[in-house]
Amino acid sequence: MAERPEDLNLPNAVITRIIKEALPDGVSTSKEARSAISRAASVFVLCATSCANSFAMKGKCKTLNASDVLSAMQEVELQWFMTPLKEALEAYRREQKRQEGSCDFFGKRDSETATLIGQFDLSCLLTRIVRQLLIPSFPPHPPKK
Amino acid sequence: MVAGNGASREEEGTGGDAAAPQPQAPMRLPLVRVKALVKADPGVTLAGQEASFILARAVELFVETIAKDAYCCAQQGKWKTLQRRDLDNAIEAVDEFAFLEGTLD
Repeated sequence: MAERPEDLNLPNAVITRIIKEALPDGVSTSKEARSAISRAASVFVLCATSCANSFAMKGKCKTLNASDVLSAMQEVELQWFMTPLKEALEAYRREQKRQEGSCDFFGKRDSETATLIGQFDLSCLLTRIVRQLLIPSFPPHPPKK
Repeated sequence: MVAGNGASREEEGTGGDAAAPQPQAPMRLPLVRVKALVKADPGVTLAGQEASFILARAVELFVETIAKDAYCCAQQGKWKTLQRRDLDNAIEAVDEFAFLEGTLD
């Protein structure tokens, strides 16, 4: 699968925003500097990936995991990334568990189906409750003809 | 090492002992683009979702760090616009950026 050259660049708008937020107000960045930082970021990803892959292969694992990436950060002597990265990983795992937990309420189902069914059931229930509150005469069940 | 950054980086590493989880800034980089870069490595078979996420977050930290280091170089030259030469000076001054030498031309 051939990659196009533009696929190996990170979005310029996002890079520009990150640079702007990192620097004090009133400081501007030349187009050349922004472009160079963007290329540096791409090189960083490739370097970190290669390093992380070495750790994965040492562990005889074909899939890169988060601990391989963290080990790579130590290997490239960016130890000060460890704390914020570990915190970000904890937050990410908590969020993933929270999303999985919201499906469990509706019983054991395929997680994608459970999410869709759960949302449908919940929206129907909420609609009925709101209608009952706003329209007192609204029957809880459709009247029998 | 660019002046003033070594101490601040160490302090950031030892801080954050509070029991309550720190609120995380939303991810700005799209994971799809980071994954495309990871897949570009012929030695990589698969990358887990957590690995891609952590790598994207690491890239954001990297961009922030290199921008701040380049700005320190710009301040020494007393100009308010970050130039390419400031970035080159930062790469030369900071040992951790040695992997970037010769790659940005």
